[in-house]
Order: sequence, then structure tokens, then C-alpha cells
Amino acid sequence: MKRPAFLHLIYWFAFSTGGVVAAVLIPVHVLVQGILGPLGVVRVVDRHYDTWVSVLGNPIVKLYLLVLIAAPFFHFAHRLRYLLVDLGVPSAKGVPAQAVFYGGAVLITLVTIWVLLTTVPISFG
Amino acid sequence: MPLGWWTRQRHYFLYTVREFTAVPLALWLLWLLVEIKRAGDGPARYSPHGSTAFVVFSVIVLLFSLYHSYTFLTLAGAIIHVKVFDRPVPSTLIDLSQFASWAVASAVVAFVLVWFGR
Repeated sequence: MKRPAFLHLIYWFAFSTGGVVAAVLIPVHVLVQGILGPLGVVRVVDRHYDTWVSVLGNPIVKLYLLVLIAAPFFHFAHRLRYLLVDLGVPSAKGVPAQAVFYGGAVLITLVTIWVLLTTVPISFG
Repeated sequence: MPLGWWTRQRHYFLYTVREFTAVPLALWLLWLLVEIKRAGDGPARYSPHGSTAFVVFSVIVLLFSLYHSYTFLTLAGAIIHVKVFDRPVPSTLIDLSQFASWAVASAVVAFVLVWFGR
């Protein structure tokens, strides 16, 4: 009897979710926070301590930032692992490489949760 | 397979660039994480990144991220097959819906980032 490919299901769900988040959300953050804000074209929330801290305390913003930062790393892990395979590193297909790449994405997720929970306290104001 | 296979055809090169977009995007997200962490330094020590080098880095990341968005969102037309009233929805219409969602999400995020910056 064929076993259901649950691990593939998880990999592909994580890959596609991270890909969608990266495709839909990252360009606007890079444009606004990385270019327009630093150039002074527009006033951006992270350019000033008061405005940055006030939004970082919001639990919805914390959840949004967790998804924005952590989800794409599962997509990146998959892409980079297979890029290495394509560039002539067959060991990137193996279990140790999977542990490193997907473990790295899990580690980034945990660090992001830690940063979001410890940097600015949650406030509903 | 020879080491430089990906430089021999435009299609292979673009495929490799598409896969490589993960690197600059990951670096930029790590920067964002640092920017969040720096909010814990207190008002006196907080100074957001704003150097010319950082802006140049962001411009390069933006080009890679736009390429990721374009290639990823156009995939939808190839892999999503739906029927409405027994007729298949054209792939260009599915692609358009993806790009429209991207435009709306970008507008909302940009508005929030700027509105709360006042």
C-alpha cells in the first residue's frame, strides 16, 4: 500500500506559503522602508523611535511581522537546497542538508518570535 | 553536468537567477529583524539604517524581489485550473487576478507604513 506523502505535503505547503508572502509583501516593504524612507521621500513608521515602538507593540503587527519574516525562509530553504543540487552539490538532497536548511528556517522563526516578544511589550492601545 | 551549465542558455541563467533571489531577500528580511530588535535599544540610541550603502542594497534587493514576484505570480496561471460554468478560466485571467492582489496588498501595506509614520 502506498503511504501518503505527508512530509511532501508539509514541504510544499511551507514552500508555496512562503513564496506567496515573499511575492506579495516583500517588494513594498523594500521600496518604502529600504528606499523611500531613508531618502526622506515619505515619512515611514520605522524612521522614528516613537512611531516604530507604538506599532511594534500591537499584537496584530507582531503576528504580521512573524508571517512576513518567517514564512519566506521556508520557501528560501527549499529553493537554495535545490539550487545547490542543480549547481553540482548532490549531498544537498540528503537528510543532513534538509535538517540544516529547514532547521535554519525553524531557527529563524524561533528567533523572530523571541525578538517580537522581547523587544516591545504587547499593548492594545 | 558541467559546472557552468547555467551560463550557457538564457533560460538556464534566468532559472538560476530566480532561485538565487532567495539570498538577497533573506538578507533584507534579516535586516528588518535587526531593525525591530534595535527598537529595544531605547529612544536615545535608536537610529534606523539610512546610509547610501543601505539604500543601494535595498535597490538591488528590490530588483530581485520584483523578479521573484513576477515569476512566482505568473506560475499561478500555469498550475491553477478552474472551471466556471463548465468553461476553463483563461490562465491570463488567473495571472491578472494574482497581479491585482499584489497591487492591492502593496497599496495597503504602503499606506499603513506611511500613515503610522506621521
